[in-house]
Amino acid sequence: MSDYRTVPTICPYCGTGCGMLLEVFGGELTGVLPWKGHPVSDGKLCIKGWTSHEFVGSPGRLASPIIRRGDAAGEVSTDEAIGLVAGELKRVVDEHGPDSVGFICSAKCTNEENYLVGKLARAVVGTNNIDHCARL
Amino acid sequence: MAIKDRARDIIGKEVDGVLAFRPEGGSHVPHLFNADDIDQMAGEYPAGERYPVSSIVRRLQAARPGVRLAVVVRGCDERALIELEKQGQVDMEHLVLLGLACDGELAGTCGCAQPYPSEVVQGEKVEGGLDLGMVEKLEGLPPGERLDYWLSRFAACVKCFGCRNVCPLCYCKECALDEPGLVDHGEQPPLLPVFHLIRAVDMAGRCVDCGLCEEACPIGIPLRTLYRKVGEVVESHFEYRPGRSPDKKSPLSVLGTEEDVT
Amino acid sequence: MSRKPENNNGKDEVKILAFLCNWCSYAGADLAGVSRLQYPPNVVDIRVMCSGTISPYHVLKAFQMGIDGVLIAGCHIGDCHYIKGNYMTYKRFQVIRDVLEFIGIGEDRLRLEWVSAAEGEKFAEVIREFTGQVEQAGASPLRTRWEENPANRERIRKAFKPLLP
Repeated sequence: MSDYRTVPTICPYCGTGCGMLLEVFGGELTGVLPWKGHPVSDGKLCIKGWTSHEFVGSPGRLASPIIRRGDAAGEVSTDEAIGLVAGELKRVVDEHGPDSVGFICSAKCTNEENYLVGKLARAVVGTNNIDHCARL
Repeated sequence: MAIKDRARDIIGKEVDGVLAFRPEGGSHVPHLFNADDIDQMAGEYPAGERYPVSSIVRRLQAARPGVRLAVVVRGCDERALIELEKQGQVDMEHLVLLGLACDGELAGTCGCAQPYPSEVVQGEKVEGGLDLGMVEKLEGLPPGERLDYWLSRFAACVKCFGCRNVCPLCYCKECALDEPGLVDHGEQPPLLPVFHLIRAVDMAGRCVDCGLCEEACPIGIPLRTLYRKVGEVVESHFEYRPGRSPDKKSPLSVLGTEEDVT
Repeated sequence: MSRKPENNNGKDEVKILAFLCNWCSYAGADLAGVSRLQYPPNVVDIRVMCSGTISPYHVLKAFQMGIDGVLIAGCHIGDCHYIKGNYMTYKRFQVIRDVLEFIGIGEDRLRLEWVSAAEGEKFAEVIREFTGQVEQAGASPLRTRWEENPANRERIRKAFKPLLP
C-alpha cells in the first residue's frame, strides 16, 4: 500500500457535489486537494470542502448510538436505538395522531434517503410535517 | 513516456518513492509510487491537472526524514522547491527531479517566465514570456478606477482559502488570514481589501507564478495579476526573482547589508 | 474612531497614524512636544520598540480601518538601536508602498522618514508636510465599506461573467 495516495471522491456537505481528492498519508486522512478537471467543481472548492477531512477523525464523532435514561447516558447497539425510536414514534402517533410528529431530513443525506423519509412521513405515518435543512 | 521510464530505472535503487500521477477514471491524481506499483504510473501529464507537488514533497520529507524521493516537476514546481529549500522547508539533496516541459498551448495560456525546469526529461522546451498585459493595463487606469476594479473583484470572495491552501509557498502553521485582529471571522466577503492585500504582501519574495491560486479560486479573482505586480516590485527594488537561484535568499527574509538600503 | 464631520477650509479632516520607534523617532516627537513646536493635531502615534517590528499587516489594517495616512518613522540607517532593524523597515516599506499604489489607495498615503532623538524640529516639519500631503490626497476611499455602497453593487455584478446566459 502506498504511503501517500489521493482518493477521488465527492464532497459530502451540500447538494452541489464538488469533486475532491482525499489525501491519505501513512494510512490516515490528512488533507484535501481539489479534483482538477471535475465537471462540477473544476479544481475549486469552498471552505466546507477544503476542511471536510477534519470531521472524519474528530474525537467528537459518535461511534455508536447513545441513549439517555434520566441522568445516565449509555452506548447501545443500533438495533436497540432504532427499536426505541420506532416504538416511541408509534406510541405518539397512536396516542395523539399522525400530525403530532414531524420529520426533518438533510442535504448530507442522498436524494434517495430524502425520498424515503418523505415516504415514511406521508405514506407510513400519514403526516405532511416534513422539512429539510435547505427547505427542499 | 520518458519520465515513467526514468522512474522505473531509479525506483528501489536511487529513490524509495516517486511522487507522480495515477490514472483514475479519466483523471490523473497525485500518488506516491514505490517499486510495487510503479507500473501504474501515468505517462502523460494533461495541462489542466496541475497539483501543488512541492507542498506534498515538503510534507512527505517532514514526516519521513531522510526519505529519498523522485518527483515530476514542471518549471514552476522546480522554482517552488528551490525557494522552499532556501526557507528550510525542503531538502533537495534527497530529491530527484523528473523534469517536464510545458507544451506550447499551456505556456501561452499560463504566461509564466519559464515554462520548463532546468533539466527536461519529457516534453519539448517552449520559450515562455512573463505575461504582464493585465498589470500594464491596470497601471494605465486612474487610481479611483483601479481601486474600483480591485474591490469589485475582491467583493465576491467567498473565503474558501483555496488560494492559500493550494499555494506551494504557504506553509505557516498560524496564518495571518485566520488572525481575528486582522480579519474578522464569519464575515463574507472578508474585510476588503486587507484580506487579499495580506496575501499579496506575503507573496513578496515568495511567489513563483505557478498560477495554482487563480485556478483554485471559485470566483476567478485575478490573483495572478496582483502577485505578478508584487513580483515586479520585488525585482525592481531588490533585483530578486523567487525560484531562480538556489543560493540567493529573498531580501525580505534576511536583514541584509547596508548596500541594500542605500 | 470618531471624526469631525465638518470640512477644514474645504479640505477633508484627515487622520494619520504614526508608528514611531522607541529609541529615535518617538524621542524626537517627545522633543518636539517639550520644545512646544506647533504641528497639526491630526496625528495619532503608536510607539514600537523598533521600526523593523512594524508588520505590513499593521499598515494595511490601518488603511482598512479608514486611516487616511500612515507614517513610519525610525532611526537613521546605521543608527538603529538593534543594528539592522531599520533595513527591514526600508525594504518592507517599498513593497507596501508600491502595492498600495497598484491597488489604487495611493502611494502618497504612506511615508517613511528617519528621525533621530535630537530632531524635534524635523519631526514637526515631517508632520506638517505629511498632513498637507494627505489632505491633498483627500479622505481615504476605504473610510466606509466599499461593498455596502449600492452604487458599487453594479460594479460587482459587471465584474464577473454570468454563470448562466
